[in-house]
Amino acid sequence: MSITRGLVARDLRVAVENKEILKGIDLTVEPGRVHALMGPNGSGKSTLAFTLAGHPGYQVLSGSATLDGEDLLGLPPDKRAKAGLFLSFQYPAAIPGVSVANFLRTARMAVRPEDLNPAKFRKLVFDKLDTLDMDPAFLGRYVNDGFSGGEKKRLEMLQMAILAPKYAVLDETDSGLDVDALQSVGRSVNALRESDEGKDIGFLLITHYPRILKYVPADVVHILIDGRIVKTGGPELANEIERDGYDGVRASTSSAQAEAAAARA
Amino acid sequence: MPSGVSETLPALDFTPTAATLDRVLTFLDDQDDGTASDAALRREALARYEALPAPGARPNRGWKYDYAALKFDELRWTSGRIEMAAIPSRPAPKPRPEEAGDLDRPALATENAGGLFFVGATRIDAPSNVDSRITVLPLTESGKHDLAASLAGTLHEIVDWRADKFAALATAFENCGAYVRVPDGVQLETPIQIVFASAPDDEAVFPHVVVILGKGARATVLERHVGDGDPFTCGIVEVHAGEGAELDYAVVQQTGDAARVFFSRGARCERDAQVRWYLAELGGALARTVLSAKLAAPGARAEASALFFNTGMQHVDLTSGVDHTVGPTTSDTVVRSAATDRGQGRYVGNIVIRPKAHGSDASLRDDALLLSKHAHIDSIPALEIAANDVKAFHGATVGSLDEDALFYAGSRGIARGEALRLITLGFFEPVIARFPGAALRDEIRTALDGKIDEATEIDL
Ligand SMILES: Nc1ncnc2c1ncn2[C@@H]1O[C@H](COP(=O)(O)OP(=O)(O)OP(=O)(O)O)[C@@H](O)[C@H]1O
Ligand SMILES: [Mg+2]
Repeated sequence: MSITRGLVARDLRVAVENKEILKGIDLTVEPGRVHALMGPNGSGKSTLAFTLAGHPGYQVLSGSATLDGEDLLGLPPDKRAKAGLFLSFQYPAAIPGVSVANFLRTARMAVRPEDLNPAKFRKLVFDKLDTLDMDPAFLGRYVNDGFSGGEKKRLEMLQMAILAPKYAVLDETDSGLDVDALQSVGRSVNALRESDEGKDIGFLLITHYPRILKYVPADVVHILIDGRIVKTGGPELANEIERDGYDGVRASTSSAQAEAAAARA
Repeated sequence: MPSGVSETLPALDFTPTAATLDRVLTFLDDQDDGTASDAALRREALARYEALPAPGARPNRGWKYDYAALKFDELRWTSGRIEMAAIPSRPAPKPRPEEAGDLDRPALATENAGGLFFVGATRIDAPSNVDSRITVLPLTESGKHDLAASLAGTLHEIVDWRADKFAALATAFENCGAYVRVPDGVQLETPIQIVFASAPDDEAVFPHVVVILGKGARATVLERHVGDGDPFTCGIVEVHAGEGAELDYAVVQQTGDAARVFFSRGARCERDAQVRWYLAELGGALARTVLSAKLAAPGARAEASALFFNTGMQHVDLTSGVDHTVGPTTSDTVVRSAATDRGQGRYVGNIVIRPKAHGSDASLRDDALLLSKHAHIDSIPALEIAANDVKAFHGATVGSLDEDALFYAGSRGIARGEALRLITLGFFEPVIARFPGAALRDEIRTALDGKIDEATEIDL
């Protein structure tokens, strides 16, 4: 029996403070593919991202989450990162007093202890800074401390490029970015996907806007409403949502739910 | 009568009593080495020590240490004169230079403008590369060198021992110290180092350091406390910064697990003078420090940057004080403290802006980090403002580790223990960054890192 390659959620139900938020998520992000996840505010997108990354505040009620067949749910956050998962935070936390350079080095060493040649590492960091149009002065600043919204997102992308995970969940990395920053982020994701170590990365791209998909085209688009993936389609689905909003999807799903309920009764 | 002498003189059993002081005075009189024993002053100081209440737990819920219960068992007082070590009938300090070097080789190896090295109260040879423009002498030799005029106005005048119980004790039993003078206009590039290493057998050490900077002088003094012994050290540091002078005075306290280190340090700043205190309390069982500065003339400025990290059963009791006597004068105090295990800390921050101190600016910021549920830190700010048109800022926080930051680091593959270390070290970084010299800053980071390893109970 072959293992399922991919970042896989099966019937994942998750509660926060005893309130069920995710009500059975089934999702498979295959290596090298881009899945976009869209949905209204509060539908549970970040909850899914945090659950996959192992945030202690999220309580898994049932279901499973695996990365290339390895169970994630039993692992602490750092082991999930070591297994190859990366989360780009919607709201990255500040770590005052810890320089970006020190943090990057510590993280890289934790995730890939085998290959830290200081000179090569330095080159890697400077190359990635360049791709992201980031001033090397950022290396001396404290992690996310006093960073603007856009700077935080660029730093998330810098970390992703340096850690080169197997699967990356990008939680609204495109929100709050100006046009140039959006381009930099897109360029950096694509540069990573074109590189040897990045070509097999599977992406779960959480977003509200189709514009990021112009830079990073999605293979699959999912719509999450009220804790359920109610629709899955091709790239055109993103444009549909932008044009019509979620109401159309909502109406069809609630009637579908009503039918299901009626069928059960 | 050599036998009688050896029994009574070389090392007195120390108690903070008049009987011990009598023996101390008898000994000092016999020395006849030009030392002013100052019997009247010492007796008056002991009387103040006895009269002043112990700065006890009274007003502070969490601070458990009771100074009234301070024990002085099995401590020896020596005169600090090298001759004493030579008396053969009792194994007295006998510090061998090579041993002294082992205790703190990096300190002596560091480039410096001069300094003094003590093991217990006994001075070992000074580092050789003393800058010829300055004077660095053991304070106990002040009589020999006719320093009375130079010391007037500074010695016993800057730290108010009449109001400070432990400064009074230090005055009564003073047995070692340093006199540092940097004349007008002399600006030093390398620090003056004063190192106190604990003696192999436990001593009661009462240092008195006097630093006098002439007009426009600039210097850095590095005072270190090292060694594995269990001494009781109770000292005074008095600084006088002349017009336009600038002094960086850094203290790194890394004594052994059972050491007790008490210091009252005070500075007086004349017109446009600046004194910057830096304090890293890292070792010892109990450290009590008073850091103060009196801004005596317009343009004077004081800064204080202090940190402590209490692990195990460590107690640190820190008081800072800035007295803006006239205006415009400025001060900036930054304190960062952390505690884990059963560590206890107290920080009292005093700012006084007197009626004549118009146009002054004072800032006081302290942040505390608690890493275990049995650790405790009290923060007690006291701002007394009697002048108009002044700026006074005070901010304080007491917090625990930021779970969001821990999760964030975890999501980058950094295990919880390592994340905790990063975040804790990061917490201290804003105050470490103020310390003078990259080498000293790195040394403090390394020491803090070592303390995180030692901490047994970082629970959250
Ligand atoms: N720590 C928490 N405590 C209480 N409720 C929470 C918590 N975290 C999430 N929730 C709730 O769970 C629901 C889903 O939140 P989530 O952040 O996953 O939404 P989202 O789809 O990412 O929304 P957005 O597009 O606004 O980022 C919301 O109703 C939110 O209030
Ligand atoms: Mg969200």
